[in-house]
Amino acid sequence: MSLLVDLFGYLSIVLHGLTIVAQSMTLGGVLFLVLLARPFAHRLAEGDAILRGATRITLYSAVAMTVVEILGNGLQVAVLMQTVDLPFLDVMQANFAVAALVKVACAALIVLLLATRGAPDRATGLVLLALGAVELAAATMTTHAAARLQPSLLLLAVEWLHQLGAAIWIGGIPCFVLALARVQDGAGWRLVGARFSRLSMAGVGCILLSGTTMFIVYIGSLPAFYGTAFGVMVGAKIAMFGMLLALGAANFLVTERLRRDPRASVVRMKRFAEVEIGIGFSIFFAAASLTSVPPAVDLTQDRVTWQEILQRNAPVWPRLASPDHDALAIPELQAQLDREAQQHHQAVSPASVPGDGVLPPRNAEDIAWSEYNHHWAGLFVILIGGLALLSQASARRPWLRWARHWPLVFIGLALFLLLRSDPEVWPLGDEDFMAAFRDVEVLQHRIFVVLILVFALFEWAVRTGRLRSQRAALVFPLMVAAGGALLLTHSHQIANVKDAMLIELTHTPLAIAGIAAGWARWLELRLPGKGSRIAGWTWPLCFVLVGVILLWYREA
Amino acid sequence: MTLRLVRLAALVAMLVSGLSLQAAAHAILIDSTPKPDGTMPAGHQTLSFHYNSRIDHKRSRLTLVGPSAKPMVLRQSTHAEANALDAEVDLAPGHYTLRWQALALDGHITRGDVPFSVAAGAH
Repeated sequence: MSLLVDLFGYLSIVLHGLTIVAQSMTLGGVLFLVLLARPFAHRLAEGDAILRGATRITLYSAVAMTVVEILGNGLQVAVLMQTVDLPFLDVMQANFAVAALVKVACAALIVLLLATRGAPDRATGLVLLALGAVELAAATMTTHAAARLQPSLLLLAVEWLHQLGAAIWIGGIPCFVLALARVQDGAGWRLVGARFSRLSMAGVGCILLSGTTMFIVYIGSLPAFYGTAFGVMVGAKIAMFGMLLALGAANFLVTERLRRDPRASVVRMKRFAEVEIGIGFSIFFAAASLTSVPPAVDLTQDRVTWQEILQRNAPVWPRLASPDHDALAIPELQAQLDREAQQHHQAVSPASVPGDGVLPPRNAEDIAWSEYNHHWAGLFVILIGGLALLSQASARRPWLRWARHWPLVFIGLALFLLLRSDPEVWPLGDEDFMAAFRDVEVLQHRIFVVLILVFALFEWAVRTGRLRSQRAALVFPLMVAAGGALLLTHSHQIANVKDAMLIELTHTPLAIAGIAAGWARWLELRLPGKGSRIAGWTWPLCFVLVGVILLWYREA
Repeated sequence: MTLRLVRLAALVAMLVSGLSLQAAAHAILIDSTPKPDGTMPAGHQTLSFHYNSRIDHKRSRLTLVGPSAKPMVLRQSTHAEANALDAEVDLAPGHYTLRWQALALDGHITRGDVPFSVAAGAH
């Protein structure tokens, strides 16, 4: 149980991100069914297939929402019962638990309706819309607006509108992609594309209106925007929102082209819509992360100033020489404990116990150790990006074909991380390698190392023709993009302490560059012709950018 | 060490997929009696902790760890403000840590410690 409490902070955000994804897809699916699929069921030759497919997506999304709501809130209830020593029924009367019960009930009813009645008729559609509205209202009761010192119905309405906008636009895209795949003629594509464009514009309108209001209420000033974790995460959301708008605008242009020429290609619209799903879901993870930090306007202390940002990011030569391991805080403390034990003829106490105990404060050597790790990791990533660029060039210069082995560089990075991430653990430190699995962070590092090794070998097999499946090639971009999205959930290790905030300022661009790299590689694989070539040069450049940011990284 | 490890983990998460540890931090302590690392007089005292959000008092907790190192759950005042946790307690001289856990009305749990000292003879 203590492990559950320790993991709770992180797990709750990941589960919340998944909840937002499932909620948006469910509500987006309901809206797509009622406002697009059903009205067009008789106007399109493939109308019934679209209706059935969208019903299935919405049904599965509602099932997922039921499951993640129960998991997320079950975790919260379990942690409260454990830490505040209250009985189950008492905890279930808390606001969040009541809201969760309403959300689960709505989701379960949506599942029931779609599972038993299939594609909705007009009356069922109206019931689904009502259930969606109630679910959204319950979800609003677990947003920042619900806990503000001055309760405000207007602010609650704004939060409701924000989630609605996300559901209309991003939540509806999976059904839109399905419809584009089912339709076989230009007139149909134009009909579906034009209606979804209008729905999307309504969604964008909701997001812009509510987002602007929340920016004013929750952030309120420029220093709060760049100087707090909340502001930086909102900045990341705005950047990704900009990417989505650009993709949406490109899709709108394809729809207009179809109006003039029904034979125009819609491949780009389909592929851009796929990328919109990915970037949209990344925004949801950023939103989940935002709900766990206090609004910027509440943080009047510990904001990072513009001067501090400039000072921290002033160019400095990378740290390529490692500090002495014995000078790190834990080995130093261990040496001191050893001396004291020897003087008093006592058994030696360990300076740190895996998964337990209070760690000594970090010293200058710890910071240098971390910077060294980041800088060398940056060199690895630049090498990967550079070799990937050479590999792209090998299409016209066969003598560069050897560069296609670039994924193997990831193996070097994985071994480097395995060795350097946990200097207190064997082989560098005194902690037993197996015992260190009790430390959640060590466990995570080892999972990362295994994942890097797996996907590096996977991509290498794809590059060298050992794996020929088209789907196998999509694993690498999906994992890179997912990693970038998860990095967004990482950003609040410490509640806005200045140092943590300055680190976030580096990591947020890393996350966005990772997301951009992953989806650019996806487009390279999925788009034909020139679009594919442009995307093929874009993602290695994103990797180089990531490497440069890592080389730039400083902690003091 | 914790920060360093998490940051490196985050770097890898960017490249692949995975997990990283973090603490949810919504309700933040904006004022308290005693202040962190502050000093209070010995005797019967009211401890008060103010947050930036409204708090679910019944499902929040104040625990005092005194010189004996034995944790004591404090009985909360029923008259606390919507965004505050208050408790009355008899304090003897020594070093204490107040461990708070607050459930904000939006469902976020936050925890923190306020270390403080109680001065001898200052009634």
